[in-house]
Amino acid sequence: MPYEALDFYDVDSLLTEEERMVRDMVRDFVDEDVIPKIEYACRDGVFPDEWRVALGEMGVLGAPLEGYGCSGLSYTAYGVICRELERGDSGLRSFASVQGSLAMYPIWDFGSEEQKQHYLPKMASGEWIGCFGLTEPDYGSNPGDMITKAEDMGGHYLLNGAKMWITNGTIAQVAIVWAKLDGVIRGFIVEKDDPGFSAPEMKGKHSLKASVTSELVFQDCKIPKDRLLPNVEGLRGPFSCLNNARYGISWGAVGAAQACFDSARDYSLSRIQFTHPIASYQLVQNKLSWMLREITKAQLLAYHLGQKKDAGTWIPEQISLAKMNNVDIALEIAREARDIHGANGILDEYCIMRHMANLESVKTYEGTHDIHNLILGRHITGIQAFTREL
Amino acid sequence: MTIAVLLKQVPDTTAKISVNGGRVDESAVSKWSFSPYDEYALEAALQLKEVAGGELVAITAGPARCEKLLRDAAAVGADTLVHISAENVNDLDSIQIQKLLAAAVEKSGASVIFCGKQAADTNAGSTGPGVAELIGASCVTLVSEVAADGAGYTATRPSSSGHEKVGVSAPCVFAFDKGLTEMRRPNVRGIMMAKKKPIETWSVAYLGVDIGASSVNIDSHSPPAEKPPGQKFEGAESVSTVVGKLRDEANVI
Ligand SMILES: Cc1cc2nc3c(=O)[nH]c(=O)nc-3n(C[C@H](O)[C@H](O)[C@H](O)COP(=O)(O)OP(=O)(O)OC[C@H]3O[C@@H](n4cnc5c(N)ncnc54)[C@H](O)[C@@H]3O)c2cc1C
Repeated sequence: MPYEALDFYDVDSLLTEEERMVRDMVRDFVDEDVIPKIEYACRDGVFPDEWRVALGEMGVLGAPLEGYGCSGLSYTAYGVICRELERGDSGLRSFASVQGSLAMYPIWDFGSEEQKQHYLPKMASGEWIGCFGLTEPDYGSNPGDMITKAEDMGGHYLLNGAKMWITNGTIAQVAIVWAKLDGVIRGFIVEKDDPGFSAPEMKGKHSLKASVTSELVFQDCKIPKDRLLPNVEGLRGPFSCLNNARYGISWGAVGAAQACFDSARDYSLSRIQFTHPIASYQLVQNKLSWMLREITKAQLLAYHLGQKKDAGTWIPEQISLAKMNNVDIALEIAREARDIHGANGILDEYCIMRHMANLESVKTYEGTHDIHNLILGRHITGIQAFTREL
Repeated sequence: MTIAVLLKQVPDTTAKISVNGGRVDESAVSKWSFSPYDEYALEAALQLKEVAGGELVAITAGPARCEKLLRDAAAVGADTLVHISAENVNDLDSIQIQKLLAAAVEKSGASVIFCGKQAADTNAGSTGPGVAELIGASCVTLVSEVAADGAGYTATRPSSSGHEKVGVSAPCVFAFDKGLTEMRRPNVRGIMMAKKKPIETWSVAYLGVDIGASSVNIDSHSPPAEKPPGQKFEGAESVSTVVGKLRDEANVI
């Protein structure tokens, strides 16, 4: 059955014609090139290279950035792109989020003119893949205490340390690595072949199987002086990137939820138990109407946040709320949808268990659910509760 | 050289069609798309333009909703967009439509015309030959491929023993069957350019063509009859019943 995107409040009618055309383009790509292959990609644990090519050709990588070969679309359009990609798979959306918001964006915002001209066009076209190294084995939610460090050796920088859980790491030509230089967090552009740099892939994931996750290891890794991002210091650097990626995730999660709803509705209408479709029973209808309710709210949240991003009137706490809420409901919807599918729900013939497992990662990365609660808690009370140390 | 592509907007082949008061309820159509054979025609026209140069004009006749179709054509590479505005398109018969399209083709200056072999809604299949007749062009139908060959064009179409290549010179019309390549996907750059492209709206009066009266009157539309429910038989004892039904009711053995 063809996919029918749930849009109960006609939120997409608020999009511009251009945004709707971008939506249809990405939706067709997902229908034609992603859905038929996604289960194979997951079984093999690979991100199909043709998706990289297609994303570049469509012009959706770094979509909201202006100039340097980037499309210069609205942030709302970027959200729509994330939603449509994640309707296919969170791993696919992760690829695009990392490339655009976490690797291209810091070069675009904090890089030198030469860096922008050198890297951005090739990253927008998908020729070069980027990754973003912030998390370390011992520092996840509190990246500020990271131990990866850079030393100024006069003619070059020397990087030492390790990053973990880095999306696209092994397949990336360009890594944006956050490390401490004289105790201050700075961003560095590390290239695949830099001496002393390796990016082994992490295996054995039950989630985001079609996305590559890696360690980044720096052992006396020597990089030229012009690879420092000149225009940012401190946690503001990585956090500005995360704001954009988290914003995209708040839309992406809606896509995953829509896919699960679509599958659950179709399945419940065709599955007969006790001589009637299970969709005719009140308990099942209650689940479906709850999904409809939550998806509709999440859509309105994402759309309004998009308008605020485009108007420049947003604050990071609003992004935290949307990321946290929309991933939370998407994960719950995936679980309920799995339940409605009964035993069939565990098969890869249906998308739901895959979305459910994916969303567990999405809940954790880009600030865990609870870290976003703490961000909101600090906003409400003015008291930080991340640590007992003040 | 100007290449024209004649495009029709039809309910998407996946959209649910409902009939209300003896007519297809257009307001209930959730998605409108290119008629599928028109997509092959458009793609082949884009490819021809890439090798032979020239300008590609996309022409459609229909109500205001058809502008979306033209924007989609622009997003993949159509240069000029022509909308023959005909709110009552469903009341026109095939010949009237052909007259409108032929007049628009002549006005556009196009000498090579691409279209689908039939539209996915009415399936009349007469547009290509009809337009060719009106503008005095040669016409090749059921085309899967068109190549420019110096003096003219070679079109590939099926023949009783495989495929035949038909050579024609402009003016000519190619009515497309399934082509070799699916229509390309647009990209963001194309979409952004399409947004800025003006749509020329040509009224019937502006075209200055007398389309006469419709010679066809549609009494009513009706949905296809519902399939009778399937029958299920289990166990060895039902074999003779099943064989009987296959022979007497289904006529398959
Ligand atoms: C598939 C995948 C891809 C990823 N891709 C990237 C990437 O590309 N780049 C990158 O840099 N990172 C990436 N990450 C890492 C991700 O950002 C981290 O996993 C995340 O920040 C959480 O860190 P952690 O896993 O160390 O969990 P921890 O920080 O150890 O958290 C464990 C639990 O403790 C809770 N917790 C922590 N601190 C507090 C507190 N103060 N109060 C209350 N509860 C607390 C958390 O909410 C969580 O429930 C990825 C992760 C995954 C799973």
